Amino acid sequence: MKQMTQILFVIMAVGLTNCGPKISSNLINPQLKLSVEEKVALLDVHHELPNNIIKVGDLRFQDSGFSTDCSFNSLMTRVRNEARKNGANIAKVIDKKTPDLWSSCYRLKIELYKYVGDVSTLSQYKLTLD
Amino acid sequence: MKQMKNIFKVLITFPMLLFMGCATIISGSRQTIKVASIPSSATVYINEVEVGKTPVERSLKRNQEYQVLIKLDGYQPYETLISKEFNAWYLGNILIGGIIGLIIDPITGAMYKLTPEELTANLTHGGTAFRTEKKDVYLMVNMDIDPGWEKVGQLIKMK
Repeated sequence: MKQMTQILFVIMAVGLTNCGPKISSNLINPQLKLSVEEKVALLDVHHELPNNIIKVGDLRFQDSGFSTDCSFNSLMTRVRNEARKNGANIAKVIDKKTPDLWSSCYRLKIELYKYVGDVSTLSQYKLTLD
Repeated sequence: MKQMKNIFKVLITFPMLLFMGCATIISGSRQTIKVASIPSSATVYINEVEVGKTPVERSLKRNQEYQVLIKLDGYQPYETLISKEFNAWYLGNILIGGIIGLIIDPITGAMYKLTPEELTANLTHGGTAFRTEKKDVYLMVNMDIDPGWEKVGQLIKMK
């Protein structure tokens, strides 16, 4: 009975602490932070990058093993926040793994760029609420 | 015959309880957020996605956090964060010893409840209020006039 209670508490502790995806970043050229008013274009795999862009860095979203908040829209919202924090106004998905037998999460590789033009004119992914 | 009925009920209910979490059964995986403002017709954005004009309501997944922005011309924008907090119904799994519930509730998001937080403290003077009605969150915002706008006149209702 005591062992059973311990198992229940361990499962609960894991459930409470590890529900986010694992994010790793490599920011080679961070720029000035952007305000919330400034738009960030989210480009999916099939969207093309414009010319005259400066690479800011890379992001990688993986399944931590206990991730539950890892839908595509949820991850892209985090990508946008990370992009703004590092001064990037374009986030381009370069690799996308959809949920499968091994993981219930989207797994993404993202490249962040700074673009001097108007990003709202670019063909881009439109976020929705899950 | 009555005994057969009872057995049938148990056979239906038991697997349901076994394979669902306590919080999932009680709270569900989504929560309704209702937003109203004075004056009304302010545009509401959740995670920068336009969801409509006040009064508006939206059913949101419990396992995410949301940035809410309310904008109306001539008024200061109001911003708040709806964060996820621990839903006490999750503890019901321990009381009834449901290991499956401990796993199911985090997956469905039912182990959380959505709660708004004040981001911009000075806007509270404008009379912002939110309260939780049973499962729903009701956010009422009294919009502050933008000091950058100059009053040039006032419409008066005709008798």
